[in-house]
Amino acid sequence: MLSAILRRIGLSFLILILVSLFVFAATEILPGDALDVSLTDDDLAVLTPEQLAEMRAALGLDRPAAVRYIDWLSGALVGDFGTTILTGAPVGDIIWGPLRNSILLAVLTTLVAVPVAMVIGIIAAWWRDRAPDAIVSTGAVVGYSLPEFVSGNALILLFAIWLPIFPATITLYTQGPMLDMLVVAVLPVATIIIGSIAYLSRLLRLGLIESLASDYVERARLAGVPERRIVFVHAVPASLVPTLNAAALYVAGLLSGIVVVETVFAWPGLGLELINSIRKREVTVVQAAVFLGAVGVIIMNLLADLSIIALDPRVRRGAGRG
Amino acid sequence: MLLETTDLRIGYGDGEGAMKLAVDGVSLSLDTGQTLGIAGESGCGKSTLARALMAYTRPGSRITGGQVRIDGQDILALPEAGRRAIRGRRIAMVPQNPLSSLTFHMTIGAQIDEILRRHEGLSKAAARARSIELLAATAMPDPAAVHRRYPHELSGGQRQRVVIAAALACRPDILVLDEPTTALDKTTELKVLKLVSDLRDRFGTALIYISHDLNVIARVCERICVMRDGKVVETGATRATFAAPRDAYTRMLLRAVPRTTDPSPVRPGPTPGDTQPVLRVENLNYRYAAGGLALPFLPRRKGVLAVRDLSFDIHAGRTLGLVGESGSGKSTVAAVISGLLPPGGGIVRFCGTPLRAAASRRSADLRRRIQMVFQDPLSSLNPRLSVGRILMRPLRIFFGMNPIEARAEAGRLLERFEMPVAMLDRFPRQLSGGQQQRVALARAFAARPDLIICDEVTSALDVSVQDHVLDLLLSMQAETGTACLFISHDLGVIKRVADHVIVLQNGEVRDAGPTDAVFAAPRHPYTRLLLEAARSVIDTPLSPTPAPEPAPHTDAAPGTNRGDRHA
Repeated sequence: MLSAILRRIGLSFLILILVSLFVFAATEILPGDALDVSLTDDDLAVLTPEQLAEMRAALGLDRPAAVRYIDWLSGALVGDFGTTILTGAPVGDIIWGPLRNSILLAVLTTLVAVPVAMVIGIIAAWWRDRAPDAIVSTGAVVGYSLPEFVSGNALILLFAIWLPIFPATITLYTQGPMLDMLVVAVLPVATIIIGSIAYLSRLLRLGLIESLASDYVERARLAGVPERRIVFVHAVPASLVPTLNAAALYVAGLLSGIVVVETVFAWPGLGLELINSIRKREVTVVQAAVFLGAVGVIIMNLLADLSIIALDPRVRRGAGRG
Repeated sequence: MLLETTDLRIGYGDGEGAMKLAVDGVSLSLDTGQTLGIAGESGCGKSTLARALMAYTRPGSRITGGQVRIDGQDILALPEAGRRAIRGRRIAMVPQNPLSSLTFHMTIGAQIDEILRRHEGLSKAAARARSIELLAATAMPDPAAVHRRYPHELSGGQRQRVVIAAALACRPDILVLDEPTTALDKTTELKVLKLVSDLRDRFGTALIYISHDLNVIARVCERICVMRDGKVVETGATRATFAAPRDAYTRMLLRAVPRTTDPSPVRPGPTPGDTQPVLRVENLNYRYAAGGLALPFLPRRKGVLAVRDLSFDIHAGRTLGLVGESGSGKSTVAAVISGLLPPGGGIVRFCGTPLRAAASRRSADLRRRIQMVFQDPLSSLNPRLSVGRILMRPLRIFFGMNPIEARAEAGRLLERFEMPVAMLDRFPRQLSGGQQQRVALARAFAARPDLIICDEVTSALDVSVQDHVLDLLLSMQAETGTACLFISHDLGVIKRVADHVIVLQNGEVRDAGPTDAVFAAPRHPYTRLLLEAARSVIDTPLSPTPAPEPAPHTDAAPGTNRGDRHA
């Protein structure tokens, strides 16, 4: 069991290094270096080549790419992403607030979406092909098909403009108090979970229907085990295994949805920061934001894998040796 | 009467609202401590009947008439809660496939305990103690440790013991066994049958044993009832029924069962002496690559040695039978010769030329000359191609026929395999299992091969269908002079088709020689064990006492984790 966990963590780390290489290379392949990209045409017209070379040296951009990569990676792994090109402020200070806000959004979404999706999935599987399933399944298809910019704006129209319960956009500072953040988080979270609940409940319904039709469920039924126990003790844990596998892949796609939601609601998170930095050509901030996003996806996948290890003894206690 | 059904009818929807009857007016009875076998081929309704005895139907079907009475009480009239109270307590089921019948994420113990706690209201500790006792009663080694294990950590035979222990948990009066050993190896089957008989003697449980295998029923049951198309066609004492079957269908079934005492195939032509063999295998060794990632700093694990030092010849028009249980390496041999696996150690000569490459790198002509037929025709025939297209393909590729010639030839082949030409436009799914397998054989013979490799080609078929397919294979072989490597776990089938036989166990040769000689005087104890397991007791139905305790090495191999399924 321990070796399975260690192997997964090791693999995640390997992926992390590869991602960092990719992120670094992506900004490196672009014509010109970070300084060229950051400077405007006006700046270039004023600065002399000597001044430019001086700035390069100050930023360490004159060193070979490999050295800069190692330097950047060793910093990134301990949370030090260097300084911005233009202002010289530490990237960490800029990115910390948005990161916290995005994590808040992700945690709230998970806390709401997963239990709700489970309840809906179980209801749909239990009343398979009957009215509750039809209603839930139709709703899920609609929910899953709605792009975030449509559902987000629709929610703003409903609950912020017609019924002014929640604020339409977030006017807080990036590091506002947590409690205020929770109130304004309602609409953004609602927007993200529409699609998540739809997708996750469909997955669970499918897995549950499959395990309810399995030989082991029939054996338990024929042994007189009560139906409720069959669903919750035998079938649900079994169906979570394939669901988690697919859900981990879904999280990667969810990230782009979060960027959209943060833009729609002006949620001061990592996605919004990323877009602003791209606009401002802050290469080091872009690197950091993309890297942290990738870290998030890797962590979610790792969590899914670890849950599967916890749920499925075939993975936990492999190859038949007990 | 302990258990009695009267005029039981079970229907299932055919998708258009109409109901078709899977069980059509079955009446049977069983008294305390009796054993009743229900025999029949696939689709005869025996499994549906077995479940209905527990007032259970699978989704899509329902009981449309009749009664099932236990001690005079009609259990079909009970509400769902009442039915559930009977299931597992008064009447219990051992389902077909032990590999899929246990919940994979729950320990063995949890799955037996829950039945005891539910029906007998035992405390956690008391249930655990009883479960371990039950596991011990099934002759499970180290029952306390097995109680903590997960299903995948046990072999197929052990898992079937667990399922039996779970069924016997509340000492039911009636135990229904639905093909409990069909997924197991023959030697494992023998042990499970002995266990079932022992437990029956010990607990006085009445048994209903459902099987397609008349031999197994002859070993276990005092009475038999033969089903066909949802109806009971014959019922009576097993011994008397097998000695003098009254119904034509029963007679046909009995005749079709291949026996190890059947005569060997008669081969015309001179005995091969100095002629060159079609296939000569010398010291074949094959080791599978180890699974998993090759990580640096860790010693590379050694793969499993699947075949060790195997040598044999097959001459034109002759058949070599390769016998063994799951994991014996018999399918590996087929895969190496056909080129599905890369060549291993040793030399494989085909018509004198060494085969040195996997199939993808062999010449088209070489691929034509070695053809292979698999166990499951539905997965080896392309579902999107009509039968005609399937048969025309080798003709067009290997012989360059134009579509008209190829279609005419495909029609001739189909007729040779006793199917109407009109079937050319059908798709594999529209055919029965036997017809599918005949198409697969026809496709192999379409290439006019020198060697045909048959890997368990009749294992998934009913006996009557198997009989027909084997007849066709034998006559086709006599006509074309094709050499054949015939792989099977069924010694009766081997006896019918093979002149020579090799017995494999764990990749090693246990016995080899002419089939008659090996079967008459087996040298290795493993061969004797296999023959005992396959011995037909139909013709001399003894009292239902099972065979002597078999040697101990086949059942307890959880390390391989491949179950005992014939794949």
